[in-house]
Amino acid sequence: MRRTDKYRFALVLVILVALHFSVRSRLGDERVAPDFLLLALLIYTIRSKPGQSAAAGFVVGLLRDALAPASFGAGALAHTLVGYLSAWGKAVFFAENLMVNGFLFFGGTWIRNLVVVLASGKLRGSMLVWELLFWSPLQGITTALVGMFVLWAFKGWLAIRLADR
Amino acid sequence: MTIGADRYGSRADTLVFLACVALSVAAMSVPQTWRDPIAKALRQTVLAPLLDLQEESELLRTSKARFAAIEAQRDSAALAATFLPELRSENARLRGLLGLENRLPPGYVAAEVLPQSLPTSPLAIVTSAGAKEGVKPLAAALSPEGLVGIVGTVDAHTSVVVTWAHPEFRASAMTSDGSVYGIVAPHGTAGGGVWLLELRGVPYRQNVPEGTLVLTSGLGGVFPRGIPIGTVVGVVATNEEWEKTYILRPAVHPAAVSHLIILTGPHAGGDLRSAFEAAGEAP
Repeated sequence: MRRTDKYRFALVLVILVALHFSVRSRLGDERVAPDFLLLALLIYTIRSKPGQSAAAGFVVGLLRDALAPASFGAGALAHTLVGYLSAWGKAVFFAENLMVNGFLFFGGTWIRNLVVVLASGKLRGSMLVWELLFWSPLQGITTALVGMFVLWAFKGWLAIRLADR
Repeated sequence: MTIGADRYGSRADTLVFLACVALSVAAMSVPQTWRDPIAKALRQTVLAPLLDLQEESELLRTSKARFAAIEAQRDSAALAATFLPELRSENARLRGLLGLENRLPPGYVAAEVLPQSLPTSPLAIVTSAGAKEGVKPLAAALSPEGLVGIVGTVDAHTSVVVTWAHPEFRASAMTSDGSVYGIVAPHGTAGGGVWLLELRGVPYRQNVPEGTLVLTSGLGGVFPRGIPIGTVVGVVATNEEWEKTYILRPAVHPAAVSHLIILTGPHAGGDLRSAFEAAGEAP
């Protein structure tokens, strides 16, 4: 990997973070709009070891908890789990395929939301059901679509080999 | 760079993962008195530039919307000017739309909501007004439709509003005619985006008809009297024989709020019914 690849990779992640705090609120309902911050974490995990990914997930989650204090700690736990499992799963199971990465983004979003609502214990009954069976899948789909576009558009910068399969 | 077996993870990776999980569990377990300073410190340091970016973005979005509204008003005014008899009624309508701000007594600050994406975000929302703007803990947060919540934590330029959807939210309430008093708490959902409230502690012999407006009562000294909370839509089936619990449709949904008014003056003993009644009369 060339040195410039590393900077380009970081630049893509910075762009995603900036998009999260600037554009996201204009993309419709906040429960459905793509989660650029989680997407940045998941893309980071594609090229990182599980330990690094877990640590990155913890930091991202803790920062988000500061912005959503109703579930303090739950976000850190959820992002740690998603970061670790994503990096580990990518290494062991998943092929470098655009659709597979799309499913990874969808699953990562859904599992993140599952862990947050269960660990925080703040949503119960029908609120929990609607969150997990309706809103979270919708957010997973939008996040996956944006993620697939980012991988496709920046595949050279991200140094990811996307098979034609 | 290829993805290969060298990334399966070593013992060090596992240890880092377990350490992060342990820290996360510790973060969940620390008492509220520790959580707030940690979250506040993060918001004021690492997150400060990102929150500034978000605030600027929200302002830009609002400015564009206002520009479009002003353009629409200009076009409407030009059209209305061609029909002089209708000009007075148009003027009256625009006066009515000036909003809740003009009807409130002095002592409030307007704030943008800085939306987040976690499922629990509607329970506690970050706003763009803080101590420098005069916001204090336990201040009421309103929208033109009614009560949104109460200020929990205050930073220099941001604050966290605990909304009525938070499981620990409570407000002393009364019916609009002042005949029935109770405590309002979150109830749950009746659909994907329909969150409900409940009015608890109503004496069994007192009936509250469907459609009755429920307001803050002013008891307890936290919320001023007369802020709309919701409308009665039913009664909860219960075996208790000394009190009833009614279901309320909230006046405002926290996830749908983009701007707030936070009371900063001495409103606690006041009565805001007239401000919201005027809002209801506006065309």
